[in-house]
Amino acid sequence: MTDFSVIGKPIAMIDAAGKTTGAGKYTDDLSVPGMLVGRILHSPYPHARIKRIDTSRAEKLEGVVAVAIGKDAPNTYGILPVGHDEHALALDKVRYVGDNVACVAAVDEATADRALELIDVEYEVLPAYFDPEESMKAETDLIHDNKPHNLEKDYHHVFGDPDKGFAEADCVAEARFVAGEVTHAAMEPHSTLASFEIDSQTGKPGRLIVWSSTQVPYYLQHKLSLVLDVPMAQIRVIKPLVGGGFGGKSEVIPLEIIAAIAARKARAPVKITYTREEVFWAHRGRPRTLIDLKTGVKRDGSITAVKARVMQDGGAYCSYGVVTILYSGALLGALYDIPNIQYDGYRVLTNKPACGAMRGHGTVNVRFAFESQLDELAARINLDPAEIRRRNLLKAPCVTVNGLRVQSYGLPECIEKTIERSGWRDRKGKLGKGRGLGIACSHYVSGAANSIIRSDMPHSTVNIKIDRDGGVVVYTGASEIGQGSDTMTAQIAAETLGCSLGRIRIVAADTDLTPIDIGSYSSRVTFMAGNATLRAAVEVKKQIASAAARKMGCTADDLVFRDDLVVRKKLAGESHAATLVSAAVPSEASVSERVEGQILRGSLQQKRKDEGPKDSMSFEEAVVAAIDFHGTLTGTGSYAPPAEARGGKHKGGGVGPSPAYSYSAQVAEVSVDEGTGEVTVHKVWAAHDCGRALNPVSVEGQIIGSVWMGMGQALTEEMVWKDGMLMNPGLLEYRSPSSVESPEVEPIIVESIDPEGPFGAKECSEGSLAATIPAIANAIFDAVGVRMHESPFTPERVLAALRAKKNAKPINLTDGVDPTNPARFREHGGSLWFKGKGPERHALDPSRLAAPLEAGGDD
Amino acid sequence: MSLPQFNLLRPRILEDALSLLAKHAGESPASTRVVAGGTDLIPSMRQKLFEPEYVVDVHHLAGLKEIRQTARGVEIGALASLTAIEQSALLRRRYPVLSEAAATVASPLLRNMGTIGGNICLDTRCLWYNQSPTWRKGCGFCIKKDGDLCHVAPGGTTCWAAFSGDTPPALLCLEAEVEIASASGTRRIPLSELYTGDGVAYRKLRPDELLTRVFLPESSADYRGVYRKLRVRGSIDYPLAGVAVVMKGSDGHIADARLAITAVNPAPLLVKGVSELLTGKAMDESLAAAAGDLAAKIARPLTTSALTPEYRREMIRVFAKRAVLAAAEN
Ligand SMILES: Cc1cc2nc3c(=O)[nH]c(=O)nc-3n(C[C@H](O)[C@H](O)[C@H](O)COP(=O)(O)OP(=O)(O)OC[C@H]3O[C@@H](n4cnc5c(N)ncnc54)[C@H](O)[C@@H]3O)c2cc1C
Ligand code: SF4
Repeated sequence: MTDFSVIGKPIAMIDAAGKTTGAGKYTDDLSVPGMLVGRILHSPYPHARIKRIDTSRAEKLEGVVAVAIGKDAPNTYGILPVGHDEHALALDKVRYVGDNVACVAAVDEATADRALELIDVEYEVLPAYFDPEESMKAETDLIHDNKPHNLEKDYHHVFGDPDKGFAEADCVAEARFVAGEVTHAAMEPHSTLASFEIDSQTGKPGRLIVWSSTQVPYYLQHKLSLVLDVPMAQIRVIKPLVGGGFGGKSEVIPLEIIAAIAARKARAPVKITYTREEVFWAHRGRPRTLIDLKTGVKRDGSITAVKARVMQDGGAYCSYGVVTILYSGALLGALYDIPNIQYDGYRVLTNKPACGAMRGHGTVNVRFAFESQLDELAARINLDPAEIRRRNLLKAPCVTVNGLRVQSYGLPECIEKTIERSGWRDRKGKLGKGRGLGIACSHYVSGAANSIIRSDMPHSTVNIKIDRDGGVVVYTGASEIGQGSDTMTAQIAAETLGCSLGRIRIVAADTDLTPIDIGSYSSRVTFMAGNATLRAAVEVKKQIASAAARKMGCTADDLVFRDDLVVRKKLAGESHAATLVSAAVPSEASVSERVEGQILRGSLQQKRKDEGPKDSMSFEEAVVAAIDFHGTLTGTGSYAPPAEARGGKHKGGGVGPSPAYSYSAQVAEVSVDEGTGEVTVHKVWAAHDCGRALNPVSVEGQIIGSVWMGMGQALTEEMVWKDGMLMNPGLLEYRSPSSVESPEVEPIIVESIDPEGPFGAKECSEGSLAATIPAIANAIFDAVGVRMHESPFTPERVLAALRAKKNAKPINLTDGVDPTNPARFREHGGSLWFKGKGPERHALDPSRLAAPLEAGGDD
Repeated sequence: MSLPQFNLLRPRILEDALSLLAKHAGESPASTRVVAGGTDLIPSMRQKLFEPEYVVDVHHLAGLKEIRQTARGVEIGALASLTAIEQSALLRRRYPVLSEAAATVASPLLRNMGTIGGNICLDTRCLWYNQSPTWRKGCGFCIKKDGDLCHVAPGGTTCWAAFSGDTPPALLCLEAEVEIASASGTRRIPLSELYTGDGVAYRKLRPDELLTRVFLPESSADYRGVYRKLRVRGSIDYPLAGVAVVMKGSDGHIADARLAITAVNPAPLLVKGVSELLTGKAMDESLAAAAGDLAAKIARPLTTSALTPEYRREMIRVFAKRAVLAAAEN
């Protein structure tokens, strides 16, 4: 049935006005009486032992209330149970430039800043590791003592028989790809306000209340409890509005715990808001990745085997790293039908800020390599790039060779629609000099089937309460972070209950009020919290239906809930009578109407009694009837992924499985200036299978956002390092695209109606991103015939590739690394060709050892 | 990042501004700083690159915002906003290269605040310098601020921070002059003499001096003009290389031409020999390429900015060639 009254319609986000007028409150907008400002002292060294910290001078400064250091909360934590390797404030060692050393709580920011300069720290600088391939050779001075060779984790998976697969192939491609490091660059910098309540009975410091810009209040509550040694019940985490996360707020970020430590020590509320530079240090973005990829195809284009060796430059802490390196392998499956897969993944520690989860977690860089290589193979066997993708479609429903269950599969339609809308068949290869089209596909999970915390608890639980006022309150732990979680919840509740959206109130992401939800990441909210909302609504609806049926003298099954009416089916079927609807209840219930409703109700009920059973009741009347019977209506729904969706039993098999996968196909049209190497993206056609579009504008927004973010990674965004110093820790030098170079994006919604998703919905916020990068790379090839194997495709890299192709006078544009065949890793990417001697540090510091000393740019 | 503490002085008339400057700049050279639009100075103060005791806000001084035609050319007040320069009908008609260059600065919001005087006096930039104190400390303080080493030109004793303003190359092509005022009087110098070529003391301006006016001579009016800017994004970004060209033609020949470059040296530079190379000739590809080579020869980009120096230098060559061709076609 596609006849819905609330879902499927483009509606504005229910919190839109608050955000656009500035009335909405983000964490940094909040203040509580007596609040202090916290500022953090960061390590200036990439790797050093702390020999001594003396805070006495800082403490004496007028206006400073407390200075917290590692000893104040020495417990370790980390987002993954296997990766508890972080201290909120360093205990004995710092592991990257920017690592957290101490925190000053003072009356204002300027005082706190001045106090930071008065903290004396004596360091013993240690050799540091910046290149993952070098780091893995380390025998001494390990980043973490329990990680030999600085190897966080490695996995070696074989599915099917890859050797046999390659033997059967007619054509095999093998190459190295390098993807630069990128970060989320969310608009809102992280911010946390921590305050200990005064216990109203004893007058002693009582419960901890934390307002924080987080995607996962529950994890924050859990880690705070761990580090502060306080029971979880003594901690309340509240998430105000969040200005974007993209994964950067999907784990506990140091300031969230540091604020609480400082508040405890200062005996006063403390707020910390990161500067943009600190946001870059907190990072948790997408690691620089080296991908050695080998793919074999038969002459007809069918893939026989894939072998990938993936190495991620993970930074100094585990973070989500073990999950990232597993996703990179697991998501080789479930897009195409690949019978044989070999995967070797290495997550390596280096002395840089920790990488973590970022939109398209784990899949993006490998997808760039894979889709590029598939294009190369298509060219070699003389097959259209769109066609080779169609020759490798899955036959869903199925379970892939690596144990991923695929039920709904809209990829064929995505490919068809993008090539149709882009005019692929007529225009490909005919756009003239320097202009071209490229195609690529991608997919993503709709939530992980296995939670990172091994337990049997549901992944989402939602409570609904309806009282005599007819208002529906939905309590959900799901975190609205700008993606539309609250709107989705309201829509599902309204659709299920047959009431108008205006009746729904969302209470979300407050650990005192809302049931546990494992948060907003891995695109799980619509699928999981959405299903939980649906189930909770069905439960209350049952109570209303039985009471209404009694009143109407029919069975509950006879009733239809829609447009704030409860109608007997026969009647609803005959004519979903417009007269009746408009006469009975306005479509949006405003406050005044509700008040009127209260007053009218008594007389209405009286009238009804007089008239005997009716064929319809208003939603409110039905609710009142049910409350008269049950008391206030409540319902609980929860969701846990089904056992069949939880994946294979192999080591690491828990990551990758999802109850459903979204699919995407994109065509990009670009032009390349052959004199400068500058790439312009003119248009992207992006089809996305989201199962069902609960709110089409929201889906389109997510698709456009994904393409835009993917384009940033493809062309301009890159974290550039020199000896552990981030050269571009700000939004001026870390270049996310501006509106000027944003191409037209034509979003195309494909609905495959998933059997398990709420109303058939899957995800739409991550799956599209990964396709954009290879679509652009493939379009560059179509335009000028060079294959970029290193991202981002900055003008200097593209020009270097063009010059090499033409055998033109070689100028050393990219530090000797051919961007079409990058053999080695360059610490400083290619955006900055560093020839200086670098930071003046400790004699042992590798950066002191010889660097070429001539200045650049001479004839 | 908080601003350091300072005393804000807000004179309303030029004389007051100059006497305040004279009074406080005398105490020590670093003790005062002029702020106009603040789009360059304020971010730098947050990074503690400047910690003056007094900040003299000249933004509201009367009479320094006008753009007007005089008998000898056009006179522009130092406080004219970049938006005003970009949109001035007079400038667009008679000195189009300046409007075009102004239009490429930063973003519309920043152009509303930023002034031409500030753009001329813009601090030189370097990735190793425009950073927070923590960052600079971690890296080792450099010659330009607090230290004695250079991360860009090792072993060197001078600073190579790049002058990254967009309008000065256009102004150099127009042979602009600037008026500099202090309590002890005013002087007028060609813009080219304002810059030193050193990354630290990049301009010849005493702390008690104010740049008050810019003059565009009548002799430079009505030249065709082109400004080409290398940047990664189409908005916000400082130039990574920039080329300005002005040209006058007669019967298919070039009557006169000048070319200047920016963002690749510690000063914007007029490229010598361009006029001699082009004058009297008809434009073609190889002539344009020769002009590009001339420009690239004096470009000395280093790792002060994003993209590789080799690339930026090559782009000076390409952009100069293209700009010359475009100017000839206009
Ligand atoms: C994000 C961003 C991007 C930018 N991009 C560009 C760009 O693309 N191109 C570009 O050219 N600039 C760019 N800028 C720099 C700046 O916006 C412009 O150069 C602007 O013109 C500076 O003018 P202002 O009035 O704001 O200068 P201010 O910040 O007020 O002053 C700059 C300097 O000049 C001195 N000064 C100012 N006026 C006078 C005067 N009358 N006499 C003596 N000294 C004076 C000040 O003391 C200070 O040292 C950018 C800035 C930002 C923040
Ligand atoms: S060029 Fe050298 S001295 Fe000048 S700012 Fe850059 S690093 Fe410092």
